[in-house]
Amino acid sequence: MITRTNPLTHPSAVLSTESLSVGYGGVPVLPPLNFSVNPGELWVLAGRNGSGKSTLLRTILGLLPAVSGTLSRPPATSIAYLPQVQSLDPIVPMRVWDIVAEGVESGWSFLKPRITADQKQRIAEALVRTQIEALAKRSFAELSEGQKQRVLLARAIAASPQLLLLDEPTSAMDLKAEEEAIARIDELRRELGTAVILVSHHLPAAIKAADHILFVDAEHQGVAAGGVQEVLADPIFHRQFAGLTGDLCVDMLKDGHRHDA
Amino acid sequence: MTPSLIDFIAGWELFRDPILCGLFAGAALGMLGVFIVLRRMVFISAALSQAAGLGVALSFYAQIHLGLAGFLVDPRVGALVLTFLGASMLRLEPRGRLTREGMLGLAYLVASAGTLMVGTRISQEAHDIQAILFGTGVLVRPSDTTWVLVSAVLVFGMVIWWRRGLVFASFDPDGARVRGLPTTLLSLAILGAIALMVSIATRALGALPVFAFSILPAIAAIALAPSPTVALILAACFGALGGVGGYMLAFFGQFPVGASQTLVCAILAGAAWGIRTLISPKSSRLAVPRA
Repeated sequence: MITRTNPLTHPSAVLSTESLSVGYGGVPVLPPLNFSVNPGELWVLAGRNGSGKSTLLRTILGLLPAVSGTLSRPPATSIAYLPQVQSLDPIVPMRVWDIVAEGVESGWSFLKPRITADQKQRIAEALVRTQIEALAKRSFAELSEGQKQRVLLARAIAASPQLLLLDEPTSAMDLKAEEEAIARIDELRRELGTAVILVSHHLPAAIKAADHILFVDAEHQGVAAGGVQEVLADPIFHRQFAGLTGDLCVDMLKDGHRHDA
Repeated sequence: MTPSLIDFIAGWELFRDPILCGLFAGAALGMLGVFIVLRRMVFISAALSQAAGLGVALSFYAQIHLGLAGFLVDPRVGALVLTFLGASMLRLEPRGRLTREGMLGLAYLVASAGTLMVGTRISQEAHDIQAILFGTGVLVRPSDTTWVLVSAVLVFGMVIWWRRGLVFASFDPDGARVRGLPTTLLSLAILGAIALMVSIATRALGALPVFAFSILPAIAAIALAPSPTVALILAACFGALGGVGGYMLAFFGQFPVGASQTLVCAILAGAAWGIRTLISPKSSRLAVPRA
């Protein structure tokens, strides 16, 4: 078993865990995790299929209870979640604007009869920032996968989040579209100072933008959290991703990662 | 001899309550149907209307064989209690290999069998149970109309006021939970509204039109609507049209009321999908104007 995590908690962290154990029915699927995510950081949550990524993501989102340990966020931290495109039902009659407008909802805000001018402004800005203002009246179901992904990103941005979690946002994209999407996310977190956790099992493009990696491996009970260089050098990480990221890792280790250098 | 429009106008006093009942029940159930259809729970209203039938049968049984009287054994209260009980059971998350469809089927069959078995013990009231199961649009009483109207107003008020939260929580429950919306309460509110409307409308109109109102207008609306709000409005309008139009068809064509209302709703659904197919044959809904 390998467990290497960064227990340092920054005072301004938007997410901190202490011996966090995740799983189902009280049975942990991963060793305990210690890590903290600070504003403006981009973390890649990596692991193969069935590695425990989704379990950890759902626990961080508050959709699953933790088996043990603590997961803390400052009070009133605004969180946004970008689900996989396939998880949204295509038969629901939703226009792009309707979906992005969901981003401004939080708590009991839906009790107000109308969306406020400020909220409309946030929706408009999110549409512009993701370059989909021309699609605002289009049906979501009729868009391409890449366009749908941008709509969901716009919804997340409209929430003005301090912490943004993205569940395999590039899974249905070709290489070029994937690089563009990652670049867009990277640009947004730099401009807005949003902390980002990006789930991916297709690593090359994600790692180029990331400054931290959270690696999980339920099969071998391995977890590693920390800077990109540190995790890339981890033997179990190499073993799991041999052939997928091997050349990339070697290059990064040789040259030094741009964020860790 | 086929009745004429003059006959209809002359008998308005007699037809007013069933028409108003069909109008309000159709509109409210049509609106709720958007959530039922899009959450893929179309048999929920069938199961709940059977639960309402069992509630009525148990109320009659309590009156006849147990000698009970008063508000608690009123058939309408019995229908309400059993429907809410059924809705609360159906709210449970599917467990293991018992799927939501399996739970709905179980509830439907238990309620149907229970109604028939209790019905054999209260044969003198069996016509009431038959009426509930197969529709009694012509025999709607003013008190039923009042109950349907009050329930429909409550449902309209709740859905219109909480619309944004209900839509978000229904169609992206994880996203809504992450944003802190009270998803459990919103889910309960929708199921409670369905239970209330189904139990009251079933007592007044019968199970068949209630099932039709809660499915077919929503199918028509989803075919045509570009957004959830428009779908809710269209579904309410189609439901109201089905309720009133079906009664007119029954009157002039001398057909059973519940079946006529179901047929009109089915025609609306078919027409909507026909229009949809003509305008955008490759898509499942009407094309939205391009920006």
